[in-house]
Amino acid sequence: MAPGERRALKKRIVLSNPNALEIEGMVDLSAETMVDSRLRGTVLGLPMPMIDQLRAVEAFKPKQGWSIFRRPGTVLRRDTIEMGRLVEQISGEGDKPQKGKVAKKIINGMKGSGKSVHLLQAMAMAFLKKWVVITVPDARELVCANTAYTAVEGTKPLQYIQPNAVSALLKRTVEANRELLAELKVSQNHPSLPMLQPGSTLEELAKLGFADPAISWAVFQAFWAELTASAPAAGLEKGFVPRPPMLVTVDGLAHWMTESEYRDADYNKIHAHDLYFVKHFLSLLKEGDSLKNGGLLLYATSLSNNPNPLALSIALDRLTAHQAGISASSPEYPNPAAYSGADERVLELLKPAEKAISPVELQTLEGITRDEARGFYEYFALSGLLRDSITDQWVGQRWSLSGGGIIGELEKLGRRFRAASA
Amino acid sequence: MTPRLNLFTARAASALRQSTTPALASRSIASPARFRAIQPIQCRWNSSRDGSKKVEPQPDEQTFPTSDQLPDVSEEANEISRIMDKEKRCDGVPSTPELDQGTPVEEILSRDKQAMKHMPKVMQDELKKSGTRSFSTSARSRIPEIESSVPGPEGASAEATAALADMIRQAQSPLVEENLDLKFDEPILPQNIKTLSYRQRYDTLQEQFTKQMMVDGKLTKAQKNMEFILEHLRTSSPPQINPKRPLLDAPPASQMPLDPVNYLAVVVDSVAPLFRIRQQKGIAGGGAAVQIPTPLNLRQRRRAAIRWIIDGSAKRRDSTFSHRVAAEVVAVAEGRSSVWDKRDQQHKIGISGRANLSTPMRR
Repeated sequence: MAPGERRALKKRIVLSNPNALEIEGMVDLSAETMVDSRLRGTVLGLPMPMIDQLRAVEAFKPKQGWSIFRRPGTVLRRDTIEMGRLVEQISGEGDKPQKGKVAKKIINGMKGSGKSVHLLQAMAMAFLKKWVVITVPDARELVCANTAYTAVEGTKPLQYIQPNAVSALLKRTVEANRELLAELKVSQNHPSLPMLQPGSTLEELAKLGFADPAISWAVFQAFWAELTASAPAAGLEKGFVPRPPMLVTVDGLAHWMTESEYRDADYNKIHAHDLYFVKHFLSLLKEGDSLKNGGLLLYATSLSNNPNPLALSIALDRLTAHQAGISASSPEYPNPAAYSGADERVLELLKPAEKAISPVELQTLEGITRDEARGFYEYFALSGLLRDSITDQWVGQRWSLSGGGIIGELEKLGRRFRAASA
Repeated sequence: MTPRLNLFTARAASALRQSTTPALASRSIASPARFRAIQPIQCRWNSSRDGSKKVEPQPDEQTFPTSDQLPDVSEEANEISRIMDKEKRCDGVPSTPELDQGTPVEEILSRDKQAMKHMPKVMQDELKKSGTRSFSTSARSRIPEIESSVPGPEGASAEATAALADMIRQAQSPLVEENLDLKFDEPILPQNIKTLSYRQRYDTLQEQFTKQMMVDGKLTKAQKNMEFILEHLRTSSPPQINPKRPLLDAPPASQMPLDPVNYLAVVVDSVAPLFRIRQQKGIAGGGAAVQIPTPLNLRQRRRAAIRWIIDGSAKRRDSTFSHRVAAEVVAVAEGRSSVWDKRDQQHKIGISGRANLSTPMRR
């Protein structure tokens, strides 16, 4: 086996199976269909021109079952429609427009409950609404000590920059949002970037970062300042376009809630919150209106390769308790056991705020309903991959086997090669 | 049963059933009087129409003023030939083959829906049976929906579209079983529920193939490999069938990837040898072995084919075992594999060894 071949096989993402049947009248995800509750339970195709953008932000994961269908599509489930309405609201459309609103959500749920696909659907919706999409497809890559890091002089405790990771982030952001960024002009002063030409676009600004990783962190800071700018700086008013809302997604949040694999000069483990990159994205959860032009923060946990830090599970329990109306002084309020050594930094970060402007919410994805499962299996059948008659009883059997509609399990049951039933 | 009625398949039988009634009706409109005159002569053991009773005109047999018109040319010709050939024999007695030979009971039943419902279970089973022989030389049972064919460009595409349309219809319409006799769905016996029993989870051939691939008792590893192979068959382009190496009972090539288990079964069964060659020493004398073909049962035939496919895959250059086997299966489907030559060679030896079959066994 040639070097890198095995990894390439493992990371390969196939999005089309030309043998599967083309489904006639398959509805695409669009601004109208994403909030249409009549379509609940149907599989909506991802618009073909958007596939490259979604690939650029690494929305598809290798183990997801895209490869057996003619074209990628996702189920419009209840959570999706709710998110669609939220996206519409933040964009300033729909029934209750709230332009400039920031929604912060931590997506939790069982293994295979569709957390990553939920993020993908969010990205697709954001692209439809012409938002800027910034993603961290795998949080683990930033803390597993596979990418270079350098200490920042004069910080206390010592902080670290990961230049190559930042460069990669800029690269995929520009590739996915190229059209949008090419229209936005630089509107702030950036003394740290003397090579920046006046009047250049945000695309050109970000491109400085991928040519030279050494300045990528400074470029990213400038880029972020531009995207969150609500008004131009003095003397740069010419051609200022109001910035669009932003979608920020992180998948695999648990890896950022513990110590990283990086070591400092004394060979002690560096806490993930001491990495500038990680700290930047986590700080968005903390502040009030962290995205000045509105937007959506979706930070999903992942149960594959999960470090399962104690502090995170307590923090999530606290969020749940807070949403259920249990006060912090109540005896039912979750607290770490004595001497358990739960990470205080994590607990502090995710502390449920009493009167925050836009507080962090915990969204737990459950299984899909039987009707949604039926629509999902009809998609299999119409693609020619399933040769059973889809009856309510048949769907009910699978629904129960999948632990109450856990969609990853439903998908496994649908694609499995088995003897014909009965 | 009786040789007169040849029930090719269940579908053919149903077609026959449907076609008889309107034919009867149209004939009776053309000549109602004569038809009724013949009726008492024929001795029909029919549950609904008793010969002794007066026959009531059926609703569709009733004559109306407008319906009394001349038959068209072909109908007329048909009537004349019937009269000339069948009804007038040399002795002038109107006759039908039924009068001479008696009417087979299936024919009577086929005209009578009511009686058919209540006919003995043996006959119902007989009707359901497909195929022309009571035994089959085919390794696999025929697929009812998609008939085998030599892949021709027009025929295959027409069949493919028909099969496709059928499949889509099946998927789109909820299953409505027209079961008029039973109040509830027919119960499924526990031994027939395959999906949920872990012992019968997989297709027979799939299981056999998987276990043939197993090394050191690592069944899970073998199952993973099998999953890869089936996934490969599902996603790789449809096989280009070599007309010299046709697959047995295969659906159209474009359909094969959609049912990878069947694809694998078709491939294995197509190269399965009918017998093995037993080397019998001591018959010919002088220490020379005599080659005697010995028939194999279905499982043994498949085993031989699977072994050949796995052995043939060892020569491939793909990186992993499952890649190699998957590529070999496709090669067999396309007629490129050396497995076909092995099978031909085996059959050649077997045919030449037929003479040795009469050799008496040594006591």
